Amino acid sequence: MTDRQREYERLITPIEDRMMRTVWRITRDPDGAEDAFQEALLTIWRRWDRILTHPNPQALILEISINAAHDVLRRKVRQGKWLQAGAVPEDIPDASASALQNLSSAEQDAQVLRAIGLLSKNQARAILMHAVEEIPYGEIATAMDCRESTVRKHVARARAKLRTLLSHLLPAVPKEETSHA
Amino acid sequence: MHDSNDVDELIRRRTQMEVPAEVEERLRGRLAEFRTRVEQRPPSRFFVGVPMLRVAALTATLLVLAAVGLVLIPRQSGGSRTYAAAAAQLRSAQSLEYTLVLNAEPYVAVDFSFLAPAYRRLNCSWGIEVRGDGSTGKQIVLFHGTRTYLTEGGKQVEAADLAEELRALPRTADEVLGERWTGGRKLVGYRLTKEPPDGSIPGLKALDVWIDSGTSEADHVDITVQEPGKPVHQMHIQNIRVNQEVNRALFDLTPPAGYSTIGAPAAGAPAVQAEIKQVDAMDAVVVPMQGSYLQTPAALQSVEDYLKKTGVTPAGPPLGRFWSEQHWEAGYPVPPGTQAEAPFQAVSMPAGLAASVVVKGPWAKDSGSRWSAFLKSVIEQGYLPDGPAMEIWTSEDGKPATQSTEMRIPVAKAK
Repeated sequence: MTDRQREYERLITPIEDRMMRTVWRITRDPDGAEDAFQEALLTIWRRWDRILTHPNPQALILEISINAAHDVLRRKVRQGKWLQAGAVPEDIPDASASALQNLSSAEQDAQVLRAIGLLSKNQARAILMHAVEEIPYGEIATAMDCRESTVRKHVARARAKLRTLLSHLLPAVPKEETSHA
Repeated sequence: MHDSNDVDELIRRRTQMEVPAEVEERLRGRLAEFRTRVEQRPPSRFFVGVPMLRVAALTATLLVLAAVGLVLIPRQSGGSRTYAAAAAQLRSAQSLEYTLVLNAEPYVAVDFSFLAPAYRRLNCSWGIEVRGDGSTGKQIVLFHGTRTYLTEGGKQVEAADLAEELRALPRTADEVLGERWTGGRKLVGYRLTKEPPDGSIPGLKALDVWIDSGTSEADHVDITVQEPGKPVHQMHIQNIRVNQEVNRALFDLTPPAGYSTIGAPAAGAPAVQAEIKQVDAMDAVVVPMQGSYLQTPAALQSVEDYLKKTGVTPAGPPLGRFWSEQHWEAGYPVPPGTQAEAPFQAVSMPAGLAASVVVKGPWAKDSGSRWSAFLKSVIEQGYLPDGPAMEIWTSEDGKPATQSTEMRIPVAKAK
């Protein structure tokens, strides 16, 4: 086995499934997922030597994957390409007691994705890594090359924006932010 | 430590989804290509040694990466973007015109109403397509019908209208063919080798799209087809004009010199007599669609589910309206005043003059030839289409034996 093969086995093989899942969860369409995945692999290729020496290479690779998927999602939301199956309504309905019940599961998924598509890059990367991939703040900070406190700020801002956009999907009485960790 | 938050919980719950097998297969293909690239990557030995060497190494690394980028990356990044941009432009084209050279016999592909020299028509089916004209905002009726030709040598060939294939190019190419200079312009070639899933190009060996790197527009397309046991068939698409004012001369039904006129439709074509009548206004809730019409059942189901959820009872059988494959809608008539939330839309179709006919038989069967015959009948009665084509689907029990379709299209008296 060559050095390069060993590097691939060490860095990519253990998280191949996770990379694909991450991209699919955010893009949700075959072409978009392939575009995002290809873009992520290209970025990984470009940064290969940096990834090799990175303190947490796999968090960095996931961060790159999330970033590429979010780019695709943002483009779709901006271009309003949500008219086909699983489309997101242009106007998110007002919160009401029956709104949640009336929305199908697919519609809720689509609304959540659209809201994520409206986040800034940093906010989206931070909240997706934290909430979906369940990566600790410290590792996210290493991957995003910033301080842990900055990651927490991105997450807090993302939550606030999502809470506004998705209030109709959240419990009627919003919880206080409980995270002080 | 992972904290808890209702927003986190919501997005976690709503993004939990396994990768479909078909998607996983595509992504694994990309991973395999990537692995090969990584394994072929030159070894990196820069990050050892003293700090000064490290700086030098960094610089060298950047230079190497830049060089690698110049040599390798464009084939996948800038390159794929160039292809994707050209394919996207074709997909969204408001007008698309090209010349097809079929086995070295050229003729204008936008209109198959005339016979190409050295070919005589074997089987004529009238075709009609209503396209928006981006330059004037008007709709243009395109005729293109004859698909099967017999060469003078007695060989039968299919001359398919390739517009839909150009408008449905996949987002990524299978291979990069490299660069070629022609007339002072640099062309970059991309190859597709997979047959379109709708079977529209059986036996596809290669579909090469050559893109002008200066404009990022398709310059020409070469298609090679070989079905089992048949000779190689080559098509060359050139003079591609996208979103440009359509040459009105192409719609002139006067045959150019050397061409013969179309005769009557082939024997066996369905006899459809359009009835010109006043139709009532109709309100409907529809879902806007684009892409394959095979999505119709799913689209209708989504509207049906939505109406059920909102307590609206359909006022009639399901219907579809069609501007083009890039713009169509499906839904149900509803009581006047019914509202709808996106992505569904409440639409009103005004009362007016329309051509209509009800044909019995399975809904989608012979749709193309039925519409051809229907529109021919409309035109023969001195009318022209004046709006989108519509189909209204009825059935007693949903089974093909009892299915019937009302074809309807707004019309205006031809001047």
